[in-house]
Amino acid sequence: MIRKVLCDFGERPTDRRRALDQILKTLALAAGGLALGGQALAAEDFLAGIPRNQVLIAENPEGTVTDPSNFNLWVPKPNGTSTGLQQLCTDTLWYIDPDQGLNNQVWDNSLAADKPQYNKDFSEMTVKLRPGLMWSDGVELTADDLVYTVQTLMADPGGFNDGARMAANVDSVSATDKYTVVFKLKKPNSRFHAAFTVRWSATWIMPKHVFEKQAKPSKYDFNPPVCIGSYTLKSFDPNGTWFIWQKRDDWQKTPLAHFGEPGPKYVAYIDPGPPDKRVILQQNHQLDIVHDTTPEGAFALIKSSPTSHGWFAGFPYAHPDPTLPMVVLNNQLEKFKNPDVRWALALLIDIKAVDMASYRGAATISAIDVPPTGTYPHYYFDPMEQWLKDFTIDTGKRTIHPYDPNMGQEIADMLRPSMGDAIPKDPKAIAAAFGHGWWKQDPQAAAELLEKAGLKKVGGKWMLPDGAPFTITISTEGDNRPVMTRAGSLIAQQWTQAGIDSKIDALPTAMWANMFNGQNEASMAWTVETWGGHPDLTFFLDSWHSQFLSEPGKFQPPRNWQRWKDPELDKIIEQIRSIDFDDPKGIELGMDFIRLAVKNMPNIPLMSYNVFTVMDSTYWTGYPSAEKDPYTDPVPNWANTKYMMVKLRPTGATSP
Amino acid sequence: MAGYALYVLRRFGQFLLVVFVGINIAFFVTHATPIDPITSAIAAATRFSQADPQAVQMTRVALRELYGLQGSLWEQYVAFWMRVARADFGPALSAFPTPVSTLIWRALPWTFGLLSVATLIAWGLGNLLGGLAGYYRRNVMLKVFGVVASGLQPIPNYVMAFVVLVLFGYVWPILPITGSAQINLAQGWTFAYFHSVFQHALLPVLSLVLVGTGAWFIGMRALVSNIVTEDYVTYAELGGVDHRRILLSYVMRNALMPQVTGLALSLGLIFNGAVITEVVFGYPGLGNLLIRAVYAGDYSLVIGIASMSIIAVAFAALVIDLILPLLDPRVRVA
Repeated sequence: MIRKVLCDFGERPTDRRRALDQILKTLALAAGGLALGGQALAAEDFLAGIPRNQVLIAENPEGTVTDPSNFNLWVPKPNGTSTGLQQLCTDTLWYIDPDQGLNNQVWDNSLAADKPQYNKDFSEMTVKLRPGLMWSDGVELTADDLVYTVQTLMADPGGFNDGARMAANVDSVSATDKYTVVFKLKKPNSRFHAAFTVRWSATWIMPKHVFEKQAKPSKYDFNPPVCIGSYTLKSFDPNGTWFIWQKRDDWQKTPLAHFGEPGPKYVAYIDPGPPDKRVILQQNHQLDIVHDTTPEGAFALIKSSPTSHGWFAGFPYAHPDPTLPMVVLNNQLEKFKNPDVRWALALLIDIKAVDMASYRGAATISAIDVPPTGTYPHYYFDPMEQWLKDFTIDTGKRTIHPYDPNMGQEIADMLRPSMGDAIPKDPKAIAAAFGHGWWKQDPQAAAELLEKAGLKKVGGKWMLPDGAPFTITISTEGDNRPVMTRAGSLIAQQWTQAGIDSKIDALPTAMWANMFNGQNEASMAWTVETWGGHPDLTFFLDSWHSQFLSEPGKFQPPRNWQRWKDPELDKIIEQIRSIDFDDPKGIELGMDFIRLAVKNMPNIPLMSYNVFTVMDSTYWTGYPSAEKDPYTDPVPNWANTKYMMVKLRPTGATSP
Repeated sequence: MAGYALYVLRRFGQFLLVVFVGINIAFFVTHATPIDPITSAIAAATRFSQADPQAVQMTRVALRELYGLQGSLWEQYVAFWMRVARADFGPALSAFPTPVSTLIWRALPWTFGLLSVATLIAWGLGNLLGGLAGYYRRNVMLKVFGVVASGLQPIPNYVMAFVVLVLFGYVWPILPITGSAQINLAQGWTFAYFHSVFQHALLPVLSLVLVGTGAWFIGMRALVSNIVTEDYVTYAELGGVDHRRILLSYVMRNALMPQVTGLALSLGLIFNGAVITEVVFGYPGLGNLLIRAVYAGDYSLVIGIASMSIIAVAFAALVIDLILPLLDPRVRVA
């Protein structure tokens, strides 16, 4: 038969009609086969054995987990933490929400019964645990678990992520009763509790009864994980592309229970692949929460799918995370040592163009060294607005007011013709969505500042005081972070147009390492990260003290990668260290820091890290949103995602 | 026979030399990269979390010891070859302490399955239709197929992958677009699992076959077009030998020799993985593993995958070189 088929090809068609006949018959056969095959193939559900309307499917931004059978997230480079492990299984003493928090409470005593209690000089911290909380294997959480966790971490600083931190800070830790633990610190530290306070992640509590049986806890794979959270591991892909968690029958004995019963019976974290696939999967209602996608992908998804929505109901849709992307300048390089030069570079930037190039207009801009997110507009941006308007710079030839308070409004007006009603009109809403003001682009003032700093313009190009050309290389993460790469490209263009030869160096995997090692000139990165819901700035600021500053070209530990040193900065930090975490004086000191940073411009803040998290309401309702209920960050890799579980409820849909 | 034995020894020596040089290059290139796995680990741990600068310095020192990265480059090189001699590439730095070999063996079956099936289908289809097209030069359908195959062949893999993804995952959503099998389906020797694996493999295989068939088609058509002008073919035709017999026994059989060589080399290249296809479709193969290892600065894993690929390709070439003289008497070994 095969021979006949083969040799039928040899028949020469006697006319065009027979040739056409042959082609049409073949195409019809192929189409019919595809149609039949398609019907057979379409039978598979997205998930096996679980009704779609009982499972919340979220994106795991870590992608495919290399060794999915290892759940030990205490080690230096854990295999997968955003698989649902830190969101649903583990827990720790306290959480600070990056937004308003459930019941408008930013602070949550999760495993702890109360806030941390310090002695007068902050050399001792006492923690009381909540009684009655159970591990998923039926054992009660007690003070022994906390003591064991700290002692185990301290004993192996290289084997555990927080081992060195515990070893550096803790002199001794002991349980004074079943639910009380006392820490004696090696030196006063009013923020030691931050180690056990979640802002995305924190030091998780280990189940002592499980780990103490292991010869080497740092080598233990913790599989299956014993959870203190409201969910346990149901199943996972041995290839690392999905993890499914199931609500515990005894959820009432978990820390989340004081807010209510979690809604989803199952939660799946999957690797959906590149941004385009995430959009397709949500349009097919196979992905409830897209962790992040490109601005264009988010706009297309929200426009085309009536059930898809972002954090903001309208433009810019994205959730502004409490992280501040910026141009990080290496202040230890000679060419960046003078604040007038750094200010000149800032004044050459057209932030509206950078916004359009990077986020397509969906950025929330910030002129100051805190992100315009969570409660910070209330604590910092609104109070600082008048000071910023009054702030002046001496260019050497005149005094200017560089701040434009209407920049956010201007961006909104720029977008309104194309986006229509998606752009808010209310000034408060505009400020929340697009930011307050930014520095006016002023090439003339920038030139004056450069001349004041001793630079000269020769043949249209700026020369440094030593006669060498003033050039800048801006490092970016390339395709790994396209939004920041686009921003960096445009900034390089703007500087070049002004006579400072600038170029981009795309380093998808090496940019951060270069920054750590002081091998960068300028980087599109961030050195500011905050709690979001709480005004205390020490989350990033404490590490900027000059005691931690390394020599030029040497490894710089997080986070002072601009390598900025200022005695006034040290004073501010030392004052913050001496007061309680909740002391309102902390906000005043925070504003002192902001003013100092504005005057010195050690880095050039641009905008908040807007995450295009898109949520599908086909199967679930109750997601957090900016306007209706900003109870937590919708970005599903945050440990705070657990708070979403108590608000999410099924819509009752059985199919899309 | 003695000549052949000598040839085998010589050729095997070449194989060992190629493998040795290749693995050395992999070692030095990966160690020359500016990506420091320790800094990568610390960056990953501290990018969104609070970090105690003093503690981070302590962690750096401790990690270097834990990962076995202390010592000079020469000391690391010697330690590396001592492990390789035991077929041990050490622990993966991005999935410490899981051994590199464990991760490779986990990913290998997926890559092997995907690429061997795609390669064999593309090879079979391309050579069959190319052979027919070269012999029946007036057939309209074969001409149309030739145009289509030649048109698809230069399309980059990643473009074709996205086209089929959009077509069958979005426009006409009949096929799964991510993963190797249905979510929550237990792995096992069951019909349901194999059916699911089959469905999930369709799109990646289709994207590879569409692009890969063209090259074989064009090559085979050219070979057959040459062979049909040979004297022995003309003689057979004049002698009244059946056309079917001429096609299969005189023409295609001879044209297949270089194509078989090409197939063996292509099968050897399977161990490189299909990086883009696997990433686009979320297929858990070697390509996916390699890209993650590169991004993480995990040079243990990169070296492990590269070494396996070097050995596989060199071995495939060795096998071809050893078998060919036995099959084709025209090939001389001395």
